[in-house]
Amino acid sequence: MKRKLLLVVLAISAFLMIACGSSNTPAEQNADNTPANATETPANTNETAQNGSNITEPTDTSQNTIDNTSTDTAPEAAVETTQETVVETDAGWHSDYYDAEAMKDVTLNMYGVTDTIIPVLEQFTADTGIKVENLTMQNGEILQRLINENTAGTPIADIWFTGGADTFISAAQQGLLHAYDAPEGAVLDDIMKDPDGYWYGTSLTLVNWVVNTALIDEYGIRMPETWDDLIQSGLEGEISMSDPASSGTAYNTVSAILQVRGEKEGWMYLDQLIGQVPYFTARGSDPANNVLSGEAIVGINASNGDRELEENNANIKIVYPKDGTGWWPQPVAIVEGTKKLDAAKVFIDWMISKKGMQTLADVRYAAVARDDISIPDGIVDIKDIQLFPVDFQANAANRESILLEWQNHLPQ
Amino acid sequence: MHFRTPSPHKLIYGIIFLFLVYFILLPVISIVFYGISSSDSLFFTTKGFQNSFIYLRHSLSVAIIVTIMATVLGLTLSFTLHRMAFPGKGFLRALVMLPFINPPFVGSIAYIMLFGKRGLITHRLLGLTISPFGMRGIATVQVLGLTALAYLLISSAIQKTNVSLEEAARTMGASEGKVLLTVTLPLMAPEIAGTALLVFLASMSDFSTPLIIGGSYQTLASNLYIQITGLYDMQSAALSGIILLLPCFMAFWLHKYHLSKRSYFSDDTASDAIVSKALPKSMKAIMIGLSALYLILLLGQYLFIVLGALTKQWGYDYTFTLAHFQSLKGTQVKPFINSFKLASVTALFASGTGVFLAYLLKLHRPKFATAADLFATLPAAVPGILFGIGYLVTFRYPILGVGKFWLTPLPSIVLLGTKAIVYLICIARFMNIGLRAGYALLEHVHPDIENASYNLGAGQARTFFSIMMPQMKSAFFASFLRSFSDGMVTLGAIILLIIPSNKVAVQQIFTVVKSNASGDAAAIALLLSFMTLIFLGFYYLLFNFRDVIKRLKAPYKKEVNL
Repeated sequence: MKRKLLLVVLAISAFLMIACGSSNTPAEQNADNTPANATETPANTNETAQNGSNITEPTDTSQNTIDNTSTDTAPEAAVETTQETVVETDAGWHSDYYDAEAMKDVTLNMYGVTDTIIPVLEQFTADTGIKVENLTMQNGEILQRLINENTAGTPIADIWFTGGADTFISAAQQGLLHAYDAPEGAVLDDIMKDPDGYWYGTSLTLVNWVVNTALIDEYGIRMPETWDDLIQSGLEGEISMSDPASSGTAYNTVSAILQVRGEKEGWMYLDQLIGQVPYFTARGSDPANNVLSGEAIVGINASNGDRELEENNANIKIVYPKDGTGWWPQPVAIVEGTKKLDAAKVFIDWMISKKGMQTLADVRYAAVARDDISIPDGIVDIKDIQLFPVDFQANAANRESILLEWQNHLPQ
Repeated sequence: MHFRTPSPHKLIYGIIFLFLVYFILLPVISIVFYGISSSDSLFFTTKGFQNSFIYLRHSLSVAIIVTIMATVLGLTLSFTLHRMAFPGKGFLRALVMLPFINPPFVGSIAYIMLFGKRGLITHRLLGLTISPFGMRGIATVQVLGLTALAYLLISSAIQKTNVSLEEAARTMGASEGKVLLTVTLPLMAPEIAGTALLVFLASMSDFSTPLIIGGSYQTLASNLYIQITGLYDMQSAALSGIILLLPCFMAFWLHKYHLSKRSYFSDDTASDAIVSKALPKSMKAIMIGLSALYLILLLGQYLFIVLGALTKQWGYDYTFTLAHFQSLKGTQVKPFINSFKLASVTALFASGTGVFLAYLLKLHRPKFATAADLFATLPAAVPGILFGIGYLVTFRYPILGVGKFWLTPLPSIVLLGTKAIVYLICIARFMNIGLRAGYALLEHVHPDIENASYNLGAGQARTFFSIMMPQMKSAFFASFLRSFSDGMVTLGAIILLIIPSNKVAVQQIFTVVKSNASGDAAAIALLLSFMTLIFLGFYYLLFNFRDVIKRLKAPYKKEVNL
């Protein structure tokens, strides 16, 4: 018996080893191949595109004849792209930089803050053949990484998608992003994009409350509807909020409250709110976790649709404050120094196209930046929600002074 | 002792020494310089400096409590499971090892759901509404995890203590309790001190537990992570990192030059079958009680994680579902393969070089031996996340980091952003496991054995391969298994260095834990544990192949022996 058992275990482990080994090698080969391909192919397409445009100018033809092969292929390439254009418009997206043949082996490295957009990335791969490898981190970690990689001169990420607008603004100021004047960008509102094309907003991240309805019933508390409901008695120690110094969600909430209520009223309200919060969590995602585990009744949260929370948890409800809420665009950007610039531009074009935004709305139930898509059932309609007027530049500029003041308002 | 050191040995020693300087010393020095050069950072303006000392106090309080509790528990467990006779010992010994194969943060979530404000035990069973956040939570979770480490280290020491001294005491009429307190424990003092040191360092460098259940009680290590990820300020993170380094180095120095001076070893390894029969009843009861309490808590925690992975809404709705495992289909397989590759490759290199270095340092005393020993053990004193920062600030410059100083237009090799850097940091970190395993083994190997081989006319190669290698084998295997399981669940050191095509399973779990899907996190964690277990078993079989075959050929012989 013992002998048989051991043999079986041995066989299983051997099988697993082989399985891992075989699935391993192609993946690695791909990963190893892609950077090389990527550096070559976009460069080629650029060349042919330039040559193609040069042909129309008679003075340049003499130069082009030196390189016969490229002039020969140029018209063909042009024809190809126009054909694709027709197909692409039907598909709801278009990119001038797209070259299906050259980009089928390209893998884009992406930084982001959430894995929930993987279905969106899969749709992008299905549409374009370009693969996306995403690494999920915190906003600040991404910024730190971009700074380091920029110093090192070895950018790892090609694109950056999802996160808070403040980190994108900060990154753009530090020269970490690549400006791209995307044609589709014109459709977006000014507040949803960077004026110089460093980033484009895709969906709206809305500040909301994650509420544990079972505990609301148990304690007989009024279901919160407005910000003033959060300071009702019975919720002492039962509100979870993140630390505005380390979480974009909380900082945005605080600055929005100050902007809407004014300095004096705003801080008076915040003092009362601070009294309800037992401690300030380090990360923006912690309050929702605290509400899920019953550690708090209401958590100040931020989300882009994210209906899973309600769908998977019977006792959880996401509430949007009736008297207005904080928000920011969830941007997408190209990382400066990427060696796969063309593919990265295709990603931006696809992401802010009708197709991309429709996918985002359908898959994530997110309120998206375009208003010409069909809104699926159950999505948060931004027309129903009063958005706090936000000045993102002012947000970034006042950050230090607001945080210092915040420190003074904390119980010592 | 004078030995001829073969020249290949010298060459390998040179290479290892260079590696140590480059991948251990340089990054650690870099952190210090990087931190100090940040005079204009937020650190000095916003009470950062002051706060760091509050965090330091938190770190120290937790670490000291955890060290005492985990070491005592580990000691108790070792005695109970190795010196007392009762059925099911083998199973319990395996059970204690559970924390080695599980990433720690899922345990923290389980703790909140069991002992939290609305926890299953505290609230629903006992009717209490108490906050689980804070020092109590951190200490409990760390003690649960680190006792396993203490047990592993102490139980291997117990098996090596010189039994003849105990026997001598017994024959002279000492009671069993007196033998334990006056002979056995003092004999093991160096090992116990070494264990306490490692537990202390592990507690100091744990950033994920305080992050999840610390509440407002954050420690230096978790604050480091928050400073980087939330405050976007790596320089002040490096500065408070220096503050974190100080107590770690102090403990390290204290141990190395004061406590571990005395060393008792026996040439003959004691067998496992020693049973202390005549222990006083009260002592026995306390030991068994403590062990049982720990094992029940541990088992409870793990069963609860299994429950979390198999029920609809962990902590609220315990309806059976397979949905969490089904949602795993969506997660990529690649991180798991990457984890396995990382753990295997780094375990191989780290254990190989570590054990070999131990052999060189102990028996050949090459030049700079003290320095080499210090450098190789240094990573044990540097918290993982800080070591990661060191790599980040060193290797973002070309030509393996030194290009910062030679701004030449040579083709640069920038390590940052390559897959290699993650492997290098793990090898650098795990080498001291091999080194320690090597030292521990050499304590029991007679130093003259190599000389004897030379005197009998064996050549250098023959002496090494047929005399030393078989001796060192078991140290390598032990170190490999430790490094492998560490490598599967390590996060702190590599979290700032992994690249999208190289992400590992633990990082996935960390992300899922954050994204409010604790059931999914439990499911992935279980899968990773299971995978680690299978591969550990596989490697174990591989290493003990001959024994296994022997046992297979004579399946009944063993029973007769019993």
